[in-house]
Amino acid sequence: VYHVFESVAKKYDVMNDSMSLGVHRVWKDILMHKMNPFPGTLLLDVAGGTGDIAFRFINYVRSVRERQLQQKLKHHQNLSWQEISESYQEDKSKSLGDSQVVVCDINKEMLKVGKQKAQHLGYSEGLSWVLGNAEELPFDDDKFDVYTIAFGIRNVTRIDLALEEAYRVLKPGGRFLCLEFSHVSNPVLSRLYDLYSFQVIPVLGEVIAGDWKSYQYLVESIRRFPPQEEFKAMIEDAGFFKVDYQNLNSGIVAIHSGFKL
Amino acid sequence: AVARCQLSPPWRALQASAVLRRVSDEQKKEPLASSSQQQFDSHPADHQPEQEPQGPRPSYTGQGGQESEDYESEEQLQHRILTAALEFVPEHGWTAEAIAEGAKTLGLSVAAAGMFHSDGSELILHFVSQCNTKLSELLEQEQKLVQLGEAEKKPTDQFLRDAVEARLRMLIPYIEKWPQALSILLLPHNIPSSLNLLTSMIDDIWHYAGDQSTDFNWYTRRAVLTGVYNTTELVMIQDSSPDFEDTWRFLENRVADAMNMGNTANQVQSTGEAVVQGLMGAAVTVSS
Repeated sequence: VYHVFESVAKKYDVMNDSMSLGVHRVWKDILMHKMNPFPGTLLLDVAGGTGDIAFRFINYVRSVRERQLQQKLKHHQNLSWQEISESYQEDKSKSLGDSQVVVCDINKEMLKVGKQKAQHLGYSEGLSWVLGNAEELPFDDDKFDVYTIAFGIRNVTRIDLALEEAYRVLKPGGRFLCLEFSHVSNPVLSRLYDLYSFQVIPVLGEVIAGDWKSYQYLVESIRRFPPQEEFKAMIEDAGFFKVDYQNLNSGIVAIHSGFKL
Repeated sequence: AVARCQLSPPWRALQASAVLRRVSDEQKKEPLASSSQQQFDSHPADHQPEQEPQGPRPSYTGQGGQESEDYESEEQLQHRILTAALEFVPEHGWTAEAIAEGAKTLGLSVAAAGMFHSDGSELILHFVSQCNTKLSELLEQEQKLVQLGEAEKKPTDQFLRDAVEARLRMLIPYIEKWPQALSILLLPHNIPSSLNLLTSMIDDIWHYAGDQSTDFNWYTRRAVLTGVYNTTELVMIQDSSPDFEDTWRFLENRVADAMNMGNTANQVQSTGEAVVQGLMGAAVTVSS
């Protein structure tokens, strides 16, 4: 797994765009919307190498915070100039409202690409990059509000261990969110999807990234991943409650959600 | 694992419908704690998949009663969060933010608000259900006093006025954000539940008012009282008089009108039937 991603790291984003025809952005946006994070949330994004989820989180939280501040200002109509200037100072230093995201990945190359992207796009505060293994996270218990893993869990050898670790590091009331390729129930769509996956994607892999094998691996790992209900049962086994899933594009991708209660 | 997979879907659906039913039935039943405990004890083979005895949660065994301090069903926890969230409503409105703040006060992560719909529907329904329960208890107590001979039985119009006023007064702490709540309750996905809660509340009031009718009067009375309640509620949300005296005066007039309606039997009969047909049709369409 490590070597696959080493070679894939630099072209990861480009490949994502071309394989999914840009739709992966929509999927990730939907994930963020479902999470609906409030300022002050501590997010752990596992296998989040190039930072897609992390950046979206920061944008979301920033805009929520702006709206909050606007609401507050609306209520404070009769402030003295002193009070107004004080509140501006406070707000400037808290544009994220203490929200933080820790990006954890097993692969150094992916993290490197992520850090470069962050610098390039101008994301500085609220971001941390940590090297770590999803089956054995380098964090204490009960630390995070939300744990996400987007298109990463199918690459984990022991999924049950990763789920248990997720449970461990989440605070009580914390949420587990997983965005992953899943099983298409519609037979017509399923045939088309198979055709696309096995014929088109490895070719794109060769053309764009010069790497047929890794993308062949990708498609096969998607097929090996358990279907929605089975994965839901695995999440429940790890101790999560209110486990549910939402199919996107009739099952090509599914978002599973569970709570540590 | 295979057995669990097969059990999951029907139990999820059952659980989901049970929550909704419980929300509306709350006023009739004992507090949720005892009812779900009873369910757990009497149906050990049927409990929901995620509460089966598993490694990390040894307290989730069949002896639910003994472990009552550790054991709390999802619904109970959700109700606790929603109740805690109510105090943040005046500041944040009926929103997921209020729910997040409520979860924080219980020591949970703000992400727990993700368990609920992001438009705050469950919070509002929870509140309405709580108010209805409080009203029932109030009317029950009054009835006891009358039965014990410690209070006079009120004439119907006075009784209705007092019941509606008592119920509407529960809105006062949240009155500023109540229009928002009303509009959310009218959303299509909320209408079955909100209609359910409304009709059971009106039912309750008539029950305690001593309504024994078994003919079409039953429908007329409910339709009329629903109309009185709804219109008074609307007047209340834009009433700025001290202690809402304009609202109570409006209520008095409407109840008086309702009483007078009984005198023109024929008119009432045809109006009543038309209204009833409309309500029943709406209820059937919406519930099916």
